[in-house]
Amino acid sequence: MTAANQTPGDGCGAPAGGVPVAAATHAGSQAVVEGHVVRDDAPVSTGYARLLGTGDEFVAEVPLGEDGGFRFFAAPGTWKLRVLAPGGARADRSVSAEYGKVTKVEVTV
Amino acid sequence: MSRPDVLVDADWVEAHKNDPGVAIVEVDEDTSAYDTGHIPNAIKIDWKQDLQDPVRRDFVDKAGFEALLSERGIAGDDTVILYGGNNNWFAAYAYWYFKLYGHQNVKLLDGGRKKWELDSRELVKDIPDRTKTSYTAQEQDTAIRAMRDEVVAAIGKRNLVDVRSPDEFSGRLLAPAHLPQEQAQRAGHIPTAKNVPWSKAANDNGTFRSDDELRTLYGDEAGLDFAKDTIAYCRIGERSAHTWFVLHELLEQPNVKNYDGSWTEYGSLVGVPIELGDGR
Repeated sequence: MTAANQTPGDGCGAPAGGVPVAAATHAGSQAVVEGHVVRDDAPVSTGYARLLGTGDEFVAEVPLGEDGGFRFFAAPGTWKLRVLAPGGARADRSVSAEYGKVTKVEVTV
Repeated sequence: MSRPDVLVDADWVEAHKNDPGVAIVEVDEDTSAYDTGHIPNAIKIDWKQDLQDPVRRDFVDKAGFEALLSERGIAGDDTVILYGGNNNWFAAYAYWYFKLYGHQNVKLLDGGRKKWELDSRELVKDIPDRTKTSYTAQEQDTAIRAMRDEVVAAIGKRNLVDVRSPDEFSGRLLAPAHLPQEQAQRAGHIPTAKNVPWSKAANDNGTFRSDDELRTLYGDEAGLDFAKDTIAYCRIGERSAHTWFVLHELLEQPNVKNYDGSWTEYGSLVGVPIELGDGR
């Protein structure tokens, strides 16, 4: 069992905010990309974070958590993070991931 | 089936959600999503607890499906509107599942929960009280469900569509990138499979792309031979249900099956061929 109340083999779907890592600041052997989405200094709890690869190829998506949080377990490399929020809000950020590291990304929409 | 026969939009749901004979059903992997707010008058089906056998890796049997729908107050002639998160993955899975047991009048809310949320439409916590029914299901329609031996026999003969991400297809990842990469099965894909990630069939807001775009995607770009039968698979069969929906229901390809055993089964089989890399 991971730190999440979910067995990864259960499915492909994305719990809100993404699956927690055992200790939020330690990536272990994973390449973690995580962060929060805010608007007017308040968390955006309704919205989606997408991880896109080369040519904007879709890789993964999670609904934002109550605190506007999101988390991905990526392969090492450079990715595009895309945030979608109500009202047509959309923001793109370039992020780099590497094994054993938690890459933090804070997004304002 | 044309698009209006299998899809409704949010305005349709707003107008008909309280109609007798209409059942709005949310199906999510994350069942807490329903509990935090859902479309007014929608009920919930849990893809795992309600639709999977608790012991064997298989679906609930016909009697189990009948008991479930009877208990949830869904009648055989109800129009069932399915929606969910994850760009309707599990709603598409439930759609395929309803079709498997012979429910004819079932449709997807285009864009699912995601578009509903991004449109800032109303979500409520009230649980509707539906009168119980006495639902009668049909025997499973095996014309839309592929089992492992059929998949192995289809290598090099039928279209095999692997709808996982390119990194899962190539063997670089074993699971989607929002889940930890820590599984014990072999990585890779079924030889001769084309990799057409489910996401290419959807717009950013979760709605399906146009029929012309979809036909170009699977035909001209991926090189599927529409004259051949097709089997779609992913990791556990719900993303491939999304692609089954596109090929069978939107593009009206006659012989398309969903392999719900998918990579979790195939990648653990002894003695079957596996291909690594980006494919041909």
